[in-house]
Amino acid sequence: MVTVDTKALERPVGRPRGQRPSRGYRIFQVVNAIILTGVVVVTLYPFVNIVARSLSDNAYIIAGKVNLVPRGFNVAAYQAVMSDSMFWTSYGNTIFYTVVSTLISVALTICYAYVLSKKHLRGRTALVGIAVFTMFFTGGLIPNYVLVTSLGLKNTVWAIALPNAINVFNLLVMKAFFESLPGELEEAAAVDGLNTYGTLLRIVLPLSKAMVATMVLFYAVSFWNSWFAAFLYMDRLELFPVTVYLRNLIAGATDATSTGGGLGTSSDIVQSAATIQSVTIVLTVLPILAVYPFIQRYFVSGVMLGAVKG
Amino acid sequence: MVQLSRRQVLFAAGAAAVASLAGCGDGGESDNKDLSGNRAGAMDKYGVGDQFKATEAVSFSILYNNHPNYQLKSDWLFWSELTKRTGVTLQPVAVPLSDYEQKRSVLIGAGDAPFIIPKTYHPQEDAYVSSGAILPVSDYLDLMPNFKDKIEKWSLKPEIDSLRQEDGKFYLLPGLHEKPWQDYSLAVRSDILEQLNLKVPTTWDDVYTMLKAMKAAYPNSYPFSDRFSKPNPGGNLLNMLALTHGLAGGGWNYQHVSWDANAKKFVYTGASDQWRQVLQYLNKLVTEGLLDPESFTQTDDQARQKLASGKSFVISTNAQTLVNDYRPDLAKTLPNARMIKIPLPAGPIGPVNPAPRLENGIMISTKARESKNFVAMMQFIDWLWYSDAGQEFAKWGVEGTTYTKDASGKRTLAPDVNVIGLNPKGTKHLQKDFGFYNGVFAYGGRLELVQSFFSPEEMEFQNILNARPTVPVAPPHPFSDEEREQATLWESGLKDYVVQGSLKFILGQRDLGQWDAYVNELKAKNMGSYLDLVNKAHDRYQKDHG
Repeated sequence: MVTVDTKALERPVGRPRGQRPSRGYRIFQVVNAIILTGVVVVTLYPFVNIVARSLSDNAYIIAGKVNLVPRGFNVAAYQAVMSDSMFWTSYGNTIFYTVVSTLISVALTICYAYVLSKKHLRGRTALVGIAVFTMFFTGGLIPNYVLVTSLGLKNTVWAIALPNAINVFNLLVMKAFFESLPGELEEAAAVDGLNTYGTLLRIVLPLSKAMVATMVLFYAVSFWNSWFAAFLYMDRLELFPVTVYLRNLIAGATDATSTGGGLGTSSDIVQSAATIQSVTIVLTVLPILAVYPFIQRYFVSGVMLGAVKG
Repeated sequence: MVQLSRRQVLFAAGAAAVASLAGCGDGGESDNKDLSGNRAGAMDKYGVGDQFKATEAVSFSILYNNHPNYQLKSDWLFWSELTKRTGVTLQPVAVPLSDYEQKRSVLIGAGDAPFIIPKTYHPQEDAYVSSGAILPVSDYLDLMPNFKDKIEKWSLKPEIDSLRQEDGKFYLLPGLHEKPWQDYSLAVRSDILEQLNLKVPTTWDDVYTMLKAMKAAYPNSYPFSDRFSKPNPGGNLLNMLALTHGLAGGGWNYQHVSWDANAKKFVYTGASDQWRQVLQYLNKLVTEGLLDPESFTQTDDQARQKLASGKSFVISTNAQTLVNDYRPDLAKTLPNARMIKIPLPAGPIGPVNPAPRLENGIMISTKARESKNFVAMMQFIDWLWYSDAGQEFAKWGVEGTTYTKDASGKRTLAPDVNVIGLNPKGTKHLQKDFGFYNGVFAYGGRLELVQSFFSPEEMEFQNILNARPTVPVAPPHPFSDEEREQATLWESGLKDYVVQGSLKFILGQRDLGQWDAYVNELKAKNMGSYLDLVNKAHDRYQKDHG
């Protein structure tokens, strides 16, 4: 290749001896580092602040004295939240809903995407169209509710897992990924006697670990954070996930004063301590935060994989 | 083109589906007054003072507004004692307080609502009237002797009339107060008052004089920095000023129209002369550096911080925030500071008690009318929410367990029971552990019962306000469906413009000399047509039902 030749010629001039980067490149790196550090600080600050608040005395928070370091250090709020059995019930629900829903979602997305990636599939355009249609149009809140209720899904995990099982965006990403896998591999597998399922399970999926890990992450995070489906389809307190619990705790504090508009009874005015709110946020974010680095390994290698191949 | 037409077809299909679904809502008119098939479990003779007890075990579904501070528990003494006394088991559908209204509207829209739907603030029920999903309760008041009795005894007819819809019926069973309960006012640093030799202000002019003196003594401060500004700027402050100037409500309680008793017609609140006076007053406070301009944008916490750090001395309050927020805040930072709630300052209409006597209330699902236990349910609601015994039970609980009563009838919490800080030594909580004093079941009632939970300090405040006259209730002006739709469209634009325009005047970004221009701008936003609509609806109602 011609371009390679010219680069090879330029190299000794641009970077004399060894790998020393150019002056311009070093300046770029410094500027880059500064800007990115700034971004990291901006991103991390609110979180560190919440952690600091969760470990501080309520009075210091109200006085606006808590920034990055806890003031009036204590763990009383953690004890208070952790001793509330409803919090743990909700927490358990969240884990259960997330695991079940993610498994279903990933399985269904893989099946659908794999099928769609096959160019010889008849009616492929229509199948893609059906999926894409749902990105732009929905039945609306009440028809959805009527549907879920009349299917008898209310107050079960299926009300959360099934209606949102396939995220069309994830589906399309996955479809594109499957399409990018070399067709020769599957042909070889077929020659060696594998049927469609065998090809998918033994050849395609092992090659798609990065993609599947990403999907698991996407789905798990979205189910972990979701509250609306549970709020809508669950009628009993002991079925609510922790997001609904948390939302009630925080939004309730502001809502009661505004919607009450001075007309409500004073027993309605919520006095949820700022510390308690922070503690609940920290405890809710923690598991996802802990899982992220492990999955991100696949995520990074997956992106690079694509880059090398592309 | 092919694409487009395909989409159009889909749109049409979707619209048809929606239309057919909406059609499902309008069930058959149940004008049928015959209740003979609905008396299962009901008492034959039930009147004022009677203990309701279902003749057979019955259960009713109820939408339950789950409060984060006292999460619903199935083992509450409230539930078991309620069943013991009335034979009724309630089946709560728990909804988080944060999104109660949304779930309520989905459930009603889907036809899946529980029989009893409490915690509805007028005029929220308006939205459901035309669908036929909720019951015109005014048709069934004969089943509710206590409700009728209280309306008559406390002369609540004008208030009740204000709930009536175009058909002359009302669809909400409101909470009833014997006396209005004005909770919000201003909290003032009383140590500063003493230090500067100031009296507790009684009018808004006094408040101005007081702030002026505070500013003179502390030139670097904004003596008044207010809270309750989210989501409505100056939510409470504007409301207090509007009410004491004879308007129907401002700020977080903004009412588009106020009744002009002399002219016998409605005027637009945000364009009225009284509103101009309110803005003029606040503008004066801001220009002279007495009122912190950030009062209208800051969060509650920011306002509390300024107060706690001694940068301001006056702030909006209610009985709870005074005790739970300001005093503990100040105790940590300024131990010598003292804070009191002053009686609501009087405006040009003289001292009044502007609080409404109606509370949030209960809607009944239309399908409950078909239940064989319908009569029992109405009797039960009447007992629990409207009888003296039921109200006392919902508030205080069970005598001997959660509270005691001495010979004079004064109630005291049991030694081990606490609520709203009345008995700090109590280890059990009246709300959290027993389920009483619950916002879903306990509100309103006789003055004595409402006040039985007040501290002596709050009692003093209430006594001053109760000595003041109440404000007359505006006559009803119920809209028809089309009118309501039209009105809602106009309202949002008008309200936004009033909020923005008012802030500009207050903060001095616009000169009050431009008031007429501002009123004309409101007219350009259909203020005139809106007023016509309201006054027309009012006239029509007077003609049909007046």
